[in-house]
This record gives sequence, structure tokens and C-alpha cells, in this order.
Amino acid sequence: MIRLEHVSKVYKTSTRPALDDVSVEVDKGEFVFLIGPSGSGKSTFLRLLLREEVPTRGRVYVSNFDVAKMSRRRVPRLRQSIGCVFQDFRLLPTKTVAENVAFALEVIGKPRNTIVKVVPEVLQLVGLDGKEDRFPTELSGGEQQRVAIARAFVNRPLVLIADEPTGNLDPDTSQDIMLLLERINRTGTTVIMATHDHGIVDSMRRRVVELAYGKVVRDDARGVYGVGR
Amino acid sequence: MRTSFVFSEVVTGLRRNVTMTIAMILTTAISLGLLGGGLLVVRMVDKMQANYAGKLEVSVLLTNDVSANDKDCTQQPCAGLRSNLEATSGVESVVYQNRDEGFERFKRIFEAQPELLKLARPEAIPATFRIKLTDPDRTDVIKKAFEGKPGVKGVDDQGKFLERFFEGLNGLRDVALILALIQAFAALLLISNTIQVSAFTRRVEVGIMRLVGATRWYTQLPFLIEAVVAGIIGAVSAVAGLVLFKAFFLDRITRNLTESGIIPPIGYLDILIVSPWLFLVAIVISATTGYVTLRLYVRL
Repeated sequence: MIRLEHVSKVYKTSTRPALDDVSVEVDKGEFVFLIGPSGSGKSTFLRLLLREEVPTRGRVYVSNFDVAKMSRRRVPRLRQSIGCVFQDFRLLPTKTVAENVAFALEVIGKPRNTIVKVVPEVLQLVGLDGKEDRFPTELSGGEQQRVAIARAFVNRPLVLIADEPTGNLDPDTSQDIMLLLERINRTGTTVIMATHDHGIVDSMRRRVVELAYGKVVRDDARGVYGVGR
Repeated sequence: MRTSFVFSEVVTGLRRNVTMTIAMILTTAISLGLLGGGLLVVRMVDKMQANYAGKLEVSVLLTNDVSANDKDCTQQPCAGLRSNLEATSGVESVVYQNRDEGFERFKRIFEAQPELLKLARPEAIPATFRIKLTDPDRTDVIKKAFEGKPGVKGVDDQGKFLERFFEGLNGLRDVALILALIQAFAALLLISNTIQVSAFTRRVEVGIMRLVGATRWYTQLPFLIEAVVAGIIGAVSAVAGLVLFKAFFLDRITRNLTESGIIPPIGYLDILIVSPWLFLVAIVISATTGYVTLRLYVRL
């Protein structure tokens, strides 16, 4: 599903590579934690998958896209098959919950009748039925993240990328969000989640890929956050 | 492509930057108004040239002595001048107009200005040969040959006068077009600026659009349409401005000249004929500026 082959990324403004000869393969339906301290290359890793960045060396494959080599024109197709969730939710404050989710479909040209059908479905899946007409500011942090997840998932992507989705949430709410991500993972969606949250990684016992100074220093099939903890 | 979506984005965009939008529309409108004015002058000059073509005459004005005493041009030097003129190559026709006929003609031309007529006396009007030429460029030959001859007071070339008049109008046109160009440049910068501001205020939306895989068209079209809509509103205002200018200003100051047939009137039809060009210019300029701005300055 996802394959990085000897990928290096050097930013113009820095002498040290953000990623240094990284090779990782993720199968369809896997749930992978991407851990490591700030500046270890997690964000670069995720940005490469989205073609927000192009690798300096190496190849990146997502599904059947040759991400590093594809033409700019095809990039939208790649991104339509990847859902994204962030620490800061990134919701549009002027739009309601339902409108925020519908926005993701409108801008890729989905027909109206599809939108009115799938938006309530996905809102129910994330447990927000009944709050369709609220505005983001009227919701708690956890609820806002659910909206963001609904928006990322509404187009049924092959991959869901989550960049510290629990970074702004308290532990209980974080647990709820993780349950939701697990549920989405069970539908067959590959989930890649960058996080600093020890508790979550330790309790879920999923695959852990650890980065340090741009290199993969650990890849455990059922890992915990810190070795020997 | 969901048109309703793009359209609602455009409306939000224009409303969000309302002051910039107004500045953009006004500048565009003034620029296009001046351009329209220039084009109207061009049309007027064309019409005048068509009006006067073939009607241009050279007048040989005769001295007071001849004017007073020779009503039918039967005596010398009048009769001799006439036969000389008729014998000159390039002359199509020679008509003798005595003082009384000249005064009648004067009264006809200036019937709209009774004050002027009250002041005029037939004694001030000289008897005149009105000469039509087969080739209007040969006026100089007549002038050289007859100026200063006995009985000739002077040679009056209407062509020269009209030329000066056209020069004046063409100068007016050039000024209008240059101002239009400067304004167009200002409008261009404003359009570019507005799009950049607009893209900045909508960076979150655009970021999300990019992330969920919206195509370039979807992310950029609202900005482009925004610019074009403002351009079209500018063109509408420009046309309205020209109509108002004609109705409340131009018609009043040129009434006498147009009624006496000296200059052709500018009609609403002329404005109607000029306005498609204004719309075309507005659309082309705003669309290209928008496109270039999005390509060069805005990373969407």
C-alpha cells in the first residue's frame, strides 16, 4: 500500500537531511504509529506521502501512485485517496459541521445527491449525529477532531494520515479519538499516525516506526513508545 | 464542476474584501470610461470625415470692390478669374456666390445663434468662388496661383481648417487613451493585489481544498471569476457613466454645433457600439491579470 525506498530529503535551508535513507513498507489495512522527537522527520515523512514535498533521493509509492515521479496534474487524484487529520483540526469556522464535511466533497466535484447521502452517514459513524448544524466554535476539542476525522474519511480514502491528532486533547478524549481511528482502521483503511503520546502507543500495541535524526531506528510489529519501559 | 459552489465562493470572496473590490471596480470603470470616450471621439472624427469628404471646397474670396459692384461676375477682374479657375487642372466645378447669396448661406448656418445674426451685416461677407476639386490635395496649387491676383482678397482652404479641427479632436482622443492606459495599469495592479489578499484571507480553505485533492481549476477558478466579475461590473459602470455624460453634459455643450451640422452628434447608438469593446477589454484584462497573478505570486 505504502512503500518508501531509500528516501532522503534535504531541505535547502538545512545541512542535515530531514530524512536519511529511509525504507519502510506498510501493508493495506495496517495501523502504524510514527514516533520520535520533534525534528526527527515525522512531518516530512507524512508530507512526502501527500506529495507536499518531493524526495531528494529515493522513491515513494502510495497505492499505485509513483508519488515522487507523478505529474502535478495527477496530484489531486493521489490526495483524493488519502485522508488527513491534524492536531489543530483545521475546520472552517464559518461553516457548520455538516458543511465542513460536505466541503471536502464539493471541492472535488461530487454531485449534490451523493453529498446529502454520505455526509449524515459519516457524521453518524464518528458519533456527531444531531450536531450537524453546530459551528466548530460551539463544539469541544474532541468533537471538533471528530468533525475533522469525518471530513478526512467521508471520501473513503485508502489511507488516513493523522499528524498528532490527540496533541490538543485530554487523555479521556484522546482515548475516544483512538477508538474512532481503530474503527476506521477496521473498515480496511490504512492508518498512519504520528504522535508523542506514550500512553496511547503503549495501550494500543500496534506497529511502531521510530525515527531519530531522519533515520528509522526501530520498527516493531507490536511496539511500545519507549524501549524497556 | 459544481457551478453553485464556485459561484458562492466568488460572492463570499468579493464581500469579504469589499473595500478592495470597490476600489478595483472604480478604477476599472474610470479606465474603461476614458477608453470609451476615446473610442467615441474616433467614431466622431470618422463620421465627420465621411460627412465632409467630397464637400470640401476651396474658397477664393474677392475684394470688397468686386463684391459690391459685380453681382453676376460679368465684369473684370471677376470674369477673368472665373475662366482662369475653370481652366486650372484638377478643378471640378466653380460656383460664383455673390454677396447676397453669401449672406443667405451665413444666416442658414448660424440660424441657431440669433445673437450672431443680429450683429452680422451683408457688407462683411465677400463675394466668393466656391471651387470643388477632383483631388482634394491640390488646394495648394489654387492657393499659390490665385492669392494676390487683382480682385482676390484671399484664398480660404476649408481642408486646412478641418485638419486643425481634427488635430484638436485627435489630441483629445490621445489624452483620453493615455489616461485610460494609466488607469488601466492602476486597475491591473489593484486586481493583482486584490487576488493576493483574497487568496491570503482564504488560505485555510484553499489549504483544505488542496489537501482533499481539489484540482487546480477548483482552487483557482473562484479567484479568477472574482476578478472577471469585478471587471464586468466596472465595464457596466463605465457604460452607464458614458450614457450619463452624454445625457447631462455633452448634449448640452455641443447642442449648437450639432444642430447646425458642424459636428455630428454622438448618439446612444454610438455608445452601444463602443460598449462591447469595453466589456471585452475588461474581461481580457481581468482574466489575464488574475491568471498571471495566481501563477506567479500565489502558491495554491
